[in-house]
Amino acid sequence: MYARLFRIADALARGMAYLGGAALLVIVVLTCVSIVGRALVPLDIGIGPIRAIYDLTEIGMAAAVFAFLPLCQLRRGHASVDLFKPLYPTVLNRLLDLLFDAGMLFIAVIGAWRLTLGMLDKLRYGETTLIAQIPVWQGYAASLLGAVVFALVAGFCVLRSLRTLGGKTDAEPEHV
Amino acid sequence: MSNIELALWSFPVLLLLIFLRAPIALAMIAVGATGTYLAIGTPMMVLNQLKTLTYGTFSNYSFSIIPLFLLMGQFATLSGMSASLFRAAESFLGHRKGGVAMSAIGACAGFGAICGSSLATAATMGQVALPELRRYGYPGSLSTGALAAGGTLGILIPPSVILVIYAILAEQNIEKLFVAALIPGILAALGYMLAIMVWVRVSPNSAAVKERVPWATRMRALGSVWPVLAIFIAVVGGIYAGIFTPTEAAAVGAAGTGLVAMLSGQLDLPRLKQAILATASSTAMIFLIILGAGLYNSFLALTQLPQMASVWVSEQGLSPWVVLTAVLIMYLLFGCIMDSLSMVLLTVPIIYPIMSVLDFGMSADDFGLWFGILVLIVVEVGLITPPVGMNLFIINSMSRDIPIGQTYRGALPFVLTDMVRVVILAAFPAITLWLVWVIDAL
Repeated sequence: MYARLFRIADALARGMAYLGGAALLVIVVLTCVSIVGRALVPLDIGIGPIRAIYDLTEIGMAAAVFAFLPLCQLRRGHASVDLFKPLYPTVLNRLLDLLFDAGMLFIAVIGAWRLTLGMLDKLRYGETTLIAQIPVWQGYAASLLGAVVFALVAGFCVLRSLRTLGGKTDAEPEHV
Repeated sequence: MSNIELALWSFPVLLLLIFLRAPIALAMIAVGATGTYLAIGTPMMVLNQLKTLTYGTFSNYSFSIIPLFLLMGQFATLSGMSASLFRAAESFLGHRKGGVAMSAIGACAGFGAICGSSLATAATMGQVALPELRRYGYPGSLSTGALAAGGTLGILIPPSVILVIYAILAEQNIEKLFVAALIPGILAALGYMLAIMVWVRVSPNSAAVKERVPWATRMRALGSVWPVLAIFIAVVGGIYAGIFTPTEAAAVGAAGTGLVAMLSGQLDLPRLKQAILATASSTAMIFLIILGAGLYNSFLALTQLPQMASVWVSEQGLSPWVVLTAVLIMYLLFGCIMDSLSMVLLTVPIIYPIMSVLDFGMSADDFGLWFGILVLIVVEVGLITPPVGMNLFIINSMSRDIPIGQTYRGALPFVLTDMVRVVILAAFPAITLWLVWVIDAL
C-alpha cells in the first residue's frame, strides 16, 4: 500500500516537474525567436518580436514554479541547517520531520485555497495582462494544477514521516 | 506586546526554528505570517495577501531570470566545456609547479562565466579535475580545497544567481552588478592561484608537473573554448549593451549552453530529464524561500523595524567603516552554518536600508554595487568554511579516500585569500567600481 502511494506521489511530482520543465524550454525558445524577430525589424519584412513574450514568460514561469514544488517537497530539496541533526536523538529528529512536513502541508493547502480564491477574483474582475491582454485568471488556473499536486504530495510526505516515526524505516523505492 | 517588540522577538524564534532544522522557507513563512497576525490581530490580512502574493512572486518577470540561469548551469555541466576549459588551462599552466591545481582554478573561472551557481561549478569541475590532480600526486587536502574554492568562482564571476537576488532586493541594476563583479572575480581566481603557488613551495609534496606545451597546441586548446567566450559575451555583454533584458539574456544563455551540449552529443533524453529535475528542485527551493522572505519582510516593514533600526544606527554616530566591518563579520559567521541564498534573502532587506544611510563618501548607486560585491564575497566564503560548507561536502563526496578534516584544512589557505580580498576591496572601492565607470563613460 505504502509503496504504491509512494509510486503515485513520485509519478505526480516528476510528471509536474517535466511539465514545468517543458514550459521553461518553451519560454527559452520563444524568447530566442522573439529576439531574432526584433533584430529583423529594420529589414521591414513584416517580422518582429513576439508581442506577448513578456506576458507569456510571466505566466509560463509562474505555472512552472508551482509545478516544481511537489518534486522539491518529495525529495526533501528544501534548504535547511542540518548542522545539529547528529546531536539530536533519533526520535526528536523524526518528530521534527513530522512537524515540518505537517507545516508544509498546512502551507500547501492554504496556498492552493487562496490561489483558487485569487483566480476567482481575477475571473470576476476580468483582469488581463498589460501588453497582450491575456486574462490573468488563466495564469492562475495553470498554476493551480501545480499547487494542488503540491498539497497532495505534501500530504503523502506527512504519511511518510508518520510511518518513519512509527519505526518503519524500510528503504524507499529508488528514484529513477 | 508592541509591534517593535514583536519584530525583535521574531529573530530568535526564526533562528530557533532554523536550528531545529526547519526548512528555511517554512520558518520564514510561519514567523512572517504569525507575526503579521499578532501585529494586526486578525489573520485576514495574510489570507488576503496570499490570494495574489504567491502568483505575483512566482510570475515576477525579474525573478524569471533565476530558473533560466539554473537551467543554463545544468546544460553547461553537460556541454563538455568543463573538460575543454581544463585542457586549455593545463596547456598554459600545467608545466609550472602546482600547475595542475592552478589549471583547475583557471578552468573553474572559465566555467563560472557560463554558470551562475557555485555547487554546479564545484561538482562539474571536480569530476574533471579531481582524478587528474590525484594522478599527478597532489595531496588530498590541496586537491579538494582548491576545487571547493574554485567552485565559488561560479558565483563570484558573473552571471550569478546570488547577484540577481541581491539586485532585486536592493533595487540595484543587474547589468552593472555583473560588470562590477568581473574584476573582483578575476582577483579571486588569481588569489587562489597564488595560494596554490605558495602552498606547493612551502609544504614539500610529491606533486609532479606536466611537460611544457608548444604555443601552437596552446592556441588550439584555447580555440576549443570559444563557445564559453561567445556565450559569456552574449549574456553579459548583451545585457549591458541593452540588446536584451536580463531575463532574455538568461534565456539566450540557456539556449546557447543547451545547443553546445546537444552538439557534443551529451544532451540525450535521459540527461535532459535529469537536467530538468535538478533545475525544478532548485527552482522550487529558491522560490519558496523568496516567498518566505517576502512574507517575513512585509511583517518587519509593518512593524517599522527596518526604518527604526537605520535611524538608531545613524544616531549612534558610529564610523560607517566599523558598521561595515561588523556586518561583514556577521555574514562570515552566519556563512559557517547557513547557505548563501537564504542568508542574502533574509538579511539584505534589513541590512541594506541601514547601510545605505551611512556615508561612505560615494554616490548611492556606487554604494549599492560595491556593497553587493562585498556581501557576495563574504556569503560565498561560507561555502568553503567548516562546519557547513556545501562546496567542501560536494568535493569531499567525490573523493571518498580523503577524510573531511583534510578537506577542511585544504580550504583554509583559500579562505585566507578571500579575507585578504574582502579587506582590499572594502578599502579600495575603486577596484570594484572602475570598470562600471569606464563602461558608463563610453
